[in-house]
Amino acid sequence: MNHTIWTRPFYYVFAFLIASISIYPILLMILSSFKTSAEIFTSPLSLPKTFNLDTYRNLLEMIPFTTYFMNSVFVSVVSVLLILITSSLAAFYIARFTFVWNNIIFFFFLMGMMLPIKLGIVPLFILMKDLNLLNSLWSLIFMYVATGIPLSILILTGFFRTMPRELEEAARIDGAGNLRILWNVVLPLMRPALGTVMIIQFIQSWNDFFFPLIFITDDLKKTIPVGMLSLFGEYSADWGALFAGLTLASLPMIVLFFIASKQFMEGLTQGAIK
Amino acid sequence: MNRMKAFTLTGFLAFILVLSACSSESGGNSGDSEASEDSVTLTIGSWRTEDKASYQKIIDKFNEENPDINVEFKPSKNTEYNTILNTALQSGEGPDIIHLRPYTPGIELADAGYLEPLDDLEGLDQYPEETLSASKGSDDKQYGVPLNMSTTQMFYNKKMFEEMGLEEPQTWDEFMALNEKIKKEGTTPIALGTKEGWLLSLSHGIIGPAHYGGNEFVDQITAGETDFTSDEFQSSIDAMDELKQFFPDNYEGLGMEDIRTMFFTGDAAMFPLGSWEIEVLREMNPDLELGFFPIPSAVGKEPTITTWVDGSYAINASSEHKDAAKKFLQFMTTEEFGTMFTEEFKMISAIPGIESEDELVNALGKAAEEQSTPYMMLVHFAGGNPSTKATIETELQGMYLGERTPEEVAKTVQESAQSWYEPLQK
Amino acid sequence: MKPATNSNSVVKMKKERNWKRWTIHLFPIPALLIYGLFIVYPLFAALTYSFFDWKGIVRGEFVGLKNFKDLFTLEPFSGLFWNAFGHNILYFVLQMIFQNGLAFILAYIIYKKVKGSEFLKIAYFLPRLLSVIVVGFLWKLILNPNYGALNVILEKIGLEQLQKAWLGDPDTALISIILVNCWYGIGFGVLIFLAGLQSIPKELFEAGKLDGADGLSMIRKIVLPLMVPSFMIMTVLTFIQSFEAFELVYAMQGSQGEPYHSTDTLAIYFYRLAFGGSAGGSTTAVGLGSALAVVLFLFISFFTALYLRYMQKKQVDM
Repeated sequence: MNHTIWTRPFYYVFAFLIASISIYPILLMILSSFKTSAEIFTSPLSLPKTFNLDTYRNLLEMIPFTTYFMNSVFVSVVSVLLILITSSLAAFYIARFTFVWNNIIFFFFLMGMMLPIKLGIVPLFILMKDLNLLNSLWSLIFMYVATGIPLSILILTGFFRTMPRELEEAARIDGAGNLRILWNVVLPLMRPALGTVMIIQFIQSWNDFFFPLIFITDDLKKTIPVGMLSLFGEYSADWGALFAGLTLASLPMIVLFFIASKQFMEGLTQGAIK
Repeated sequence: MNRMKAFTLTGFLAFILVLSACSSESGGNSGDSEASEDSVTLTIGSWRTEDKASYQKIIDKFNEENPDINVEFKPSKNTEYNTILNTALQSGEGPDIIHLRPYTPGIELADAGYLEPLDDLEGLDQYPEETLSASKGSDDKQYGVPLNMSTTQMFYNKKMFEEMGLEEPQTWDEFMALNEKIKKEGTTPIALGTKEGWLLSLSHGIIGPAHYGGNEFVDQITAGETDFTSDEFQSSIDAMDELKQFFPDNYEGLGMEDIRTMFFTGDAAMFPLGSWEIEVLREMNPDLELGFFPIPSAVGKEPTITTWVDGSYAINASSEHKDAAKKFLQFMTTEEFGTMFTEEFKMISAIPGIESEDELVNALGKAAEEQSTPYMMLVHFAGGNPSTKATIETELQGMYLGERTPEEVAKTVQESAQSWYEPLQK
Repeated sequence: MKPATNSNSVVKMKKERNWKRWTIHLFPIPALLIYGLFIVYPLFAALTYSFFDWKGIVRGEFVGLKNFKDLFTLEPFSGLFWNAFGHNILYFVLQMIFQNGLAFILAYIIYKKVKGSEFLKIAYFLPRLLSVIVVGFLWKLILNPNYGALNVILEKIGLEQLQKAWLGDPDTALISIILVNCWYGIGFGVLIFLAGLQSIPKELFEAGKLDGADGLSMIRKIVLPLMVPSFMIMTVLTFIQSFEAFELVYAMQGSQGEPYHSTDTLAIYFYRLAFGGSAGGSTTAVGLGSALAVVLFLFISFFTALYLRYMQKKQVDM
């Protein structure tokens, strides 16, 4: 008991020190967007002299931000939903049954993470062309679902395995089918894992720039990260504007996270109490 | 409670789906509806995202005479341009008009059959042979219309030179003495960092000719009469090594943005870079009094400005609108275009004899015509794998980090070139 | 359960059961289809590239294993391969220690519900919300030797002698990138470990307390064994991600492994071979690049399979 009393402040300091390192660069980005290039270079630690929103206004006039934003929202939301559905079905199968080929299927899914997907970009491009998906947001959705499945199955399978089987058996004896067991018994208990998958995949789909760069040429179909990438060329020397662009690109995700985090964190604890 | 959540979620989803359906339809329509029966739409692929507005003006000009050809300039990020373009070309897609990288990478595309030969295009005969060679295929056919010349030289801050009582150097010794003097004043003489390798082959392209003796050496080495371990070339590497005493503090950690900032904020007096920087520097600091000088020779030859063709425009062999695309390229060979280009982009047009109203650009263009030497690593030695150009970049970086001696640099460059460059394999 | 009244209904029930059992095999189908079409098919189509000779981006004739041989015997290719391979190993080791080790400790602190743990959770996760390009850009600025915040802070607290050109010095460039990667990934680790901790039934802790377990011994006896799935997930992921390390390195140092090959990883090297580097002036070697991807794939899959097998045995033993 004694040593917890003197170690506790140490834990505190440690935890909050790491937290401040986590937050600092993001603050830096937001603060720098109000500075001029010269200010950024000569006094990197100081606060900006003014909080002038002109840079933001100019940027918003130049780029169709709402269009990019809607595209990003659509692509990310649909991708995450499809990932959750397909992956929990597959992970349930792999984790809760012991067919001889289950390990092989599990490993087969993991293989997707072991090769750089850029390797297959030419066959992929031809595939998208044949499916008539070039310049369509669905090309992105299919890619995010396909690239998201391995990680999601890895996480969900891991957690499905830890779940006690008794509840499931009880439901089975009551005559519930597999789908009902998964939906009514397993998934509610797996909220922490599902929440993790959801947020990770959402971020992944939101932030990817490689696939839209290759598959999308129509300006109205671009997502936020690609729209932002072009700023790097246009403002390579105007750092204030660049930071404003980066902030604009990151802000939706941060705001969304703050709105969702309460829900999401509650989900985490609820799952544990049950 | 749970049911409520499910409802809200479904509602939200439906909302998104409907919205996106609307937006995608309107997006799809706007592209097609404008195009009437006999009008075509051309797309231009490029890595110059920063030039979007200027290209629009060029396109508007083109449309004055060709109202039925819609042209869309669709640049992608510089660093990913090759990946995007190659992927699309390999799949039989890609923009109708392609901004070609100069020399080896562009010629590679021509040799692979992805480009349409332009031999019957009018106006190609006005360009000198060296200019055309940037986009000439190995089959000796012309595949690109040269767009602009780039030059590299030493930029300097006129005001700082005045304040320190300095003048443009006429000999290499004067140049070194000038560096010493600036350093004594407590200012960084040369804004150069070694963190990004491409800056090193670029600056070697400026400094090198003063030591290996300019065009004469280039002629000899491309004929296989000398090589990279020769004293001439060795001395160019030694000079690069010697200059590091005039670089900024922590130069090994500085990249392009850092050194540019140093120069336009007056933290450094000289800036060994290319003509494309003029526009950026002026935008960042309109008060900057920008001057340039050719590098004076250390071996008793004429001072040199390093020049090369920076980009050409070509036609995609699988384009459906080759005739329209040819009309646009034709337009790019006209004097009207050349003048407009020089004014809009503040760059040197590849079309000979185009004058610029901008004094500095004009002076550079003149100097480039009279004292030019090629950027040897890019023009002749960008082949091999890894390319000889990439090799000298890595090796010079190693030298500045103390991992390689100047002798080792020259030796490795020679080995790299020997592995693929035929004249050196004899 | 009601006893079956007649044999007929038992047969019916059995049939129904069988039917229900059979439908379970439909569960993995949607995932398999999407994944197979958009990942497996293009990747394996591309893997065949490694058996051909390439002239630029045009496929030449079939050359068997020549590309593989060149990759390991021809200089500078083989030197670059082993150099990058060593960097990937360092990547894995440092990430295991600084990302996963720290993440576990932080997750435990949060789990113990210190004051402000809600804030901590959000704070640790914030970096993960950013795009890797943004992360690379921000840290490049912070690590800048002359204008960067890190060196300025070091000066302010009187540690000038520690100032460095962090990303320009071959001794610190790769380590800096890896630590930035840990900064970026730690929130994910915290999340996984926290999810693992929270699925430990509370009764076990009560039982442990009654047995007189405290602090560390509680962790060792109760927490760690039950955290096996979380550790497995994080290890497999970190292993794969370390050996596929690309995006952040690319965002911070480009595709040349600068300075002087000190930040080259296998995936960066692959990208350079297959796509010709970032700034356009480089040539491609698609055959060699694909061969490298095959080797990388075989290596990662072999060790992942080995590890998973080992973990499974361990779980069965428990």
